[in-house]
Amino acid sequence: MTLFSLRNLSVDVPGRRLLDDISLDLPQGRMIALIGHNGSGKSTLLKVLARQGAATGQVSFEGRPLSDWRARDHARRLAFLPQTLPPAEGMLVRELVALGRYPWHGALGRVTPADRNAIARAMAECGVEAFADRLVDSLSGGERQRVWLAMMVAQQAGTLLLDEPISALDIAHQVEVLALVRRMCHQGGRSAVIVLHEVNMAARFCDHIVALKGGRVVLQGSPADLMRPETLHRIYGLRMEVLTRPDGPPVAVPA
Amino acid sequence: MSPAARMVLPLGALVALALWMMAARSLPWPGWPLDPAAMSLDQIRMGYGLMPRGVIAPLAGAALGLSGAILQVVLRNPVADPTTLGISAGAQLALVLTTIFAPGVLEGGRWPIAMAGGLAAAAVVLAIGAARAFAPVTMVIAGMLVGLTASAVATAVTLAQGQYLLSLVIWNGGSLVQQDWSGVRNLALVLTLAGLAAAALARPLRVLSLGAEGAAGLGLNVAAMRLAAVVLAVWIAASVAAELGLIAFVGLAAPALARSLGARSIPALLVWSPVLGALILSLCDGLVLAVAGLGGETFPTGALTGLVGGPLLIWLLPRLRGSTPPGRERGEGPAPRRARPRRLLAALAGGLLVMALALLWIGRVPGGWAVLDAGSLAAFLPMRLPRLIAAGASGAALALAGAILQRLTANPLASPEVLGVSGGAALGFAAVTFGVAAPAALALTLGSMAGGALALAIVIAFTTRRDMPPERVLLAGIAVSALASAVLSAMMAVGDARAWAVLTWLSGATGTVTMTGALALAGLAGVVWLAALAAGRWLALLPLGAGVAVGAGLNLPRVRLALVAMAGLATGAATLITGPLSFVGLMAPHLARRIGLARPADHLTGSALIGAGLMLAADFGARMAGFPYELPLGLFATLIGAPWLIWLMTRTPR
Repeated sequence: MTLFSLRNLSVDVPGRRLLDDISLDLPQGRMIALIGHNGSGKSTLLKVLARQGAATGQVSFEGRPLSDWRARDHARRLAFLPQTLPPAEGMLVRELVALGRYPWHGALGRVTPADRNAIARAMAECGVEAFADRLVDSLSGGERQRVWLAMMVAQQAGTLLLDEPISALDIAHQVEVLALVRRMCHQGGRSAVIVLHEVNMAARFCDHIVALKGGRVVLQGSPADLMRPETLHRIYGLRMEVLTRPDGPPVAVPA
Repeated sequence: MSPAARMVLPLGALVALALWMMAARSLPWPGWPLDPAAMSLDQIRMGYGLMPRGVIAPLAGAALGLSGAILQVVLRNPVADPTTLGISAGAQLALVLTTIFAPGVLEGGRWPIAMAGGLAAAAVVLAIGAARAFAPVTMVIAGMLVGLTASAVATAVTLAQGQYLLSLVIWNGGSLVQQDWSGVRNLALVLTLAGLAAAALARPLRVLSLGAEGAAGLGLNVAAMRLAAVVLAVWIAASVAAELGLIAFVGLAAPALARSLGARSIPALLVWSPVLGALILSLCDGLVLAVAGLGGETFPTGALTGLVGGPLLIWLLPRLRGSTPPGRERGEGPAPRRARPRRLLAALAGGLLVMALALLWIGRVPGGWAVLDAGSLAAFLPMRLPRLIAAGASGAALALAGAILQRLTANPLASPEVLGVSGGAALGFAAVTFGVAAPAALALTLGSMAGGALALAIVIAFTTRRDMPPERVLLAGIAVSALASAVLSAMMAVGDARAWAVLTWLSGATGTVTMTGALALAGLAGVVWLAALAAGRWLALLPLGAGVAVGAGLNLPRVRLALVAMAGLATGAATLITGPLSFVGLMAPHLARRIGLARPADHLTGSALIGAGLMLAADFGARMAGFPYELPLGLFATLIGAPWLIWLMTRTPR
């Protein structure tokens, strides 16, 4: 079954076309990387998928047009993490994760044992129980990223949309966060769409790659399809070399 | 300039000229050179009244346009101008104070005094801005705080010495009426010198437009250049203010129009802003002449520019995208968070109760202080109790509105005063006062509520736009406030009993409150408190930004509408008691957060308690400070609150 189905999707801002007539189907249950050069429209596309940006054309999520979803029903099925994590002024980790339950209990609904259960499991899954009672803003970058992931997990949505979740992290934390998302997808039966800058990370952790160039789709396929010098040249306009190792995945470096 | 501009400019100039000619056609042309001895009365009115007026309008407009353009470039802020930065209000306060306390100084001319006042105001605003990297919205809010404080002091002084200051009030409105050519000569000199200085500054300003770090990297002395440019802009604006009074918005509108007509580079902006400024003011003055004729000499043109400029600013706001550097508005460092907020809240509530009881019993009598005995208490109670309840409830309502708005916009500087609701209510009150003969209290109440609702509707129109960032909403509110104050000062300029009624109400008064009114207000504050508590989860999600809030399933337009309506209702009702200026809505939520109340429910409750306490204190102070006379409540609250806030804002964020 398809997760997202896009038909003739375009996004215009005055004087510029950000996304140009994109038609695309994204598969369910996979970890999907959205890659492309700066300004290729990958963040714009992710925002459209998250219902956070206006667009022309049709987008349907789980078989229903995006505009037909009620706000809270949509949030029960799909969680979105913006690129820059907003400051959570004066908020404890526990409270932030609990906000992920809003789609389920709403503004006035009672907090049920199921809610508490989901919060506890989300904190355990992302390994943030140790700082449950600390202020979010006092944590380090990697810890804070995990806390926000825990909030998304508490939302119990089947689909996660992440906008460059690793761009501010060191390499160890990059691997940690992507491995966590991969675990969520493969063991938790979720789907994820992730905007990534780093080709090697995308090829290593994701199952499915969508590459954009100048607002158009230039590639949709497996990591193996991506890791070819001519494909990388088409996407980034730069000559790249792909080094293959006998015991691991290929690595791309600028030639 | 775009082809559209080539059409608009000559056309505008023609219309302005035609309007002036229409006013001039009833008067005979004097012979040249002008010689009063050989002229008839009408020829003198023409040669020494209408003709200099026709010349001074474009001169002043050009000067203001230039000043605004320089300020906008140097501060990299598209809404900077002499009005929004508090410069004009500073000049006004300096002139009012000098007129009353040292009239002899005025012999030396109004210029040095206006200049000193304007510079002082600009210095305070810049000091606040410097602590926050000159973030545009912070600058405008700081400018407005300084401006409002200056106006509050000026109003207090005007109230005390009213009958002598009518001419000053007319000056405040910005009248272009001329009696000779001296004003034209002065402004022409200012404009020439300023034009030369601006030409010399054009290239450094262009480098500065890269931002402080980039400009310093290119070898520019950023601090010196900023100082020079700001002093130049203040000098121009203060000169116009000293000559003609407060003419709002020309400095804002001219560069904005120049930009939208296609002036991209800084030299082009510095050239076209004065041209467009001259055109705008000539057109406005032409309209005043055409409508009021020569009979309505005291109708100030500055009021008309306010009427044009307020809507213009509102129209402009959504189009500012991309022209502003993304200045982040930061709070002043991390605030503490208390582990057991309930105890603190209980202590606050207890303190409030004790304070209310104490204020009920203590009073000032001729020659000292007294604690009332049972008999006098029974006599005083019907008078004191309603005003205590009303003051406390209005403080709580304003504080709740402030807390809601600060969380809604994720901006620690949001408040009902800033959002324009108070200004709108004031406009409604004034409209009823002037429109209805001998209005009843009910009509005044309805009028100010309708005015507040209208201001709110404009701001809501902004909040419901999904892509509207919160700081733009604040700017919309500021535009409404500025529009309201421009119109109000025009009404003041009429200077009769009705103007005094408005002026008195503007400063706030609890003296006339009935028990029913006080209880109704308290009930309303309670309802808003409960509603805000019920919306606690919204108020926890919203400070995280629109992306997260929508992601969690919040129906953003509807939620914003509900919260803005809640805040607007509370403000509209409280404004009736306190007047539009009080700052309690800004201070109380700030204080509550500072003492460690972080969760939405605690923050809201704490804000309400602190707001009530602040207003009770202000009411007590207003009654006692000038015993046996009463000072206006809102004025007293402003005089306590605004300096405290300015201090708060100047502290460097950690």
